[in-house]
Amino acid sequence: MTREKLLVETAALAGEIMLVSGAEIYRVETTIQHILELAEGKQGENVVLSTGIYLSLDDPAGEAITVVRRVSDRSTNLNRIDLANNVSRKLCTGKLSIQEAYDQLLVIQKQEIYSPKATFLGYVGTCCFFAMLFNGKLYDCLAALLVGAGLALVMGAAKKIRLNAFCTNVIAAFFVGEAALLLQAFALTDIHRDTVIVSAIMPLVPGVVFTTAIRDTLNGDYNAGMARMVEAVVTALAIAAGVGASMSLFQMLMGGSYLW
Amino acid sequence: MVSQGLLQMIPQILIRSLGAFLAVMSFGLILELPKKYLFHAGAVGGLGWMVYLIVERCSRSGPMAAFLSSLMVAGMSHIFARQKKAPVTVFLVAGILPSVPGASIYRCVYYMIRNAEMLSNDYLVETLKIAGAIAMAVFFIDSLFRLGQDHGKPM
Repeated sequence: MTREKLLVETAALAGEIMLVSGAEIYRVETTIQHILELAEGKQGENVVLSTGIYLSLDDPAGEAITVVRRVSDRSTNLNRIDLANNVSRKLCTGKLSIQEAYDQLLVIQKQEIYSPKATFLGYVGTCCFFAMLFNGKLYDCLAALLVGAGLALVMGAAKKIRLNAFCTNVIAAFFVGEAALLLQAFALTDIHRDTVIVSAIMPLVPGVVFTTAIRDTLNGDYNAGMARMVEAVVTALAIAAGVGASMSLFQMLMGGSYLW
Repeated sequence: MVSQGLLQMIPQILIRSLGAFLAVMSFGLILELPKKYLFHAGAVGGLGWMVYLIVERCSRSGPMAAFLSSLMVAGMSHIFARQKKAPVTVFLVAGILPSVPGASIYRCVYYMIRNAEMLSNDYLVETLKIAGAIAMAVFFIDSLFRLGQDHGKPM
């Protein structure tokens, strides 16, 4: 591989990792641009959309190198953003050679720092403490904790069988709704159903995606902004459909006007 | 609830901020936030939520509270990012978690499915206002910290 080709591959890989991990578009674009600028005397350009990366390194004297990367599943991973950012920073200040940077990025692309157990704790803690944040009473926190533990198991199972994001959200939200309703009906009767459900779906809801969408829009990345906004709405739709279905089922099973 | 003054609210505000601190740290585990940043991200989230609650109590306006608390969250994130040489996003995403309108988006779509258009519209407008307020605050602080930078890498 020539030096230019390797440089383009490195830039594409760094950009891909950051985009998949949920970095803002302007951050991905500047990172790629900085890496491309290491090729002296050549014109590097890149366009990043939320679903893909296009970059090219144009040599006025010869042929241009162009790389396109399609990005499909995105999930926020702050660790990878941090590490990829570090590598590109070191590469641009000359502390790493291009080959070293490329090898490190390949490792980063697969890296996971928390074990399934820690992630499980994360889900349980998030649900429980969000109930506390939403001014829930002790029983609400307890109920959210129990529902959160179940949610973590559902998410783990969905990841194992590689279910797509939409179906995962529907099923997880359905489980959350059903679990909260059953808890209220049979175990902890004085919980606030709404607080428990809203706390327990917090790990799923697209609040950050929606806010990033508006930030991208303000930055002038209108394409990515719109795409992320649609992503947020679709995710919310999946969750609401799941919870709505769980309530309808519960209504059918219990009969009467138990819920509304 | 309405008759309570700010002073009587202090214990409640503290407990809820502690909840935010712990919630952000737990969420950090899901978002693969590196261990060395967990505590800082939690602190950003907890303090941000405290500001949110106080402003919301005083001004009775969610978007205003979201704007001011996000100003602080973004400012703290930038400072921590410089200190630790990490990208701002790492602290920012975790820090704005308590105030992002995730629950409102869900309620908006939920009431749409339930055929309660009025409620759905209310929540849609609330979502847009709060997300807009947060995004504006973050954007404002970003621009402020980018002033005078020599086209360096975005932090």
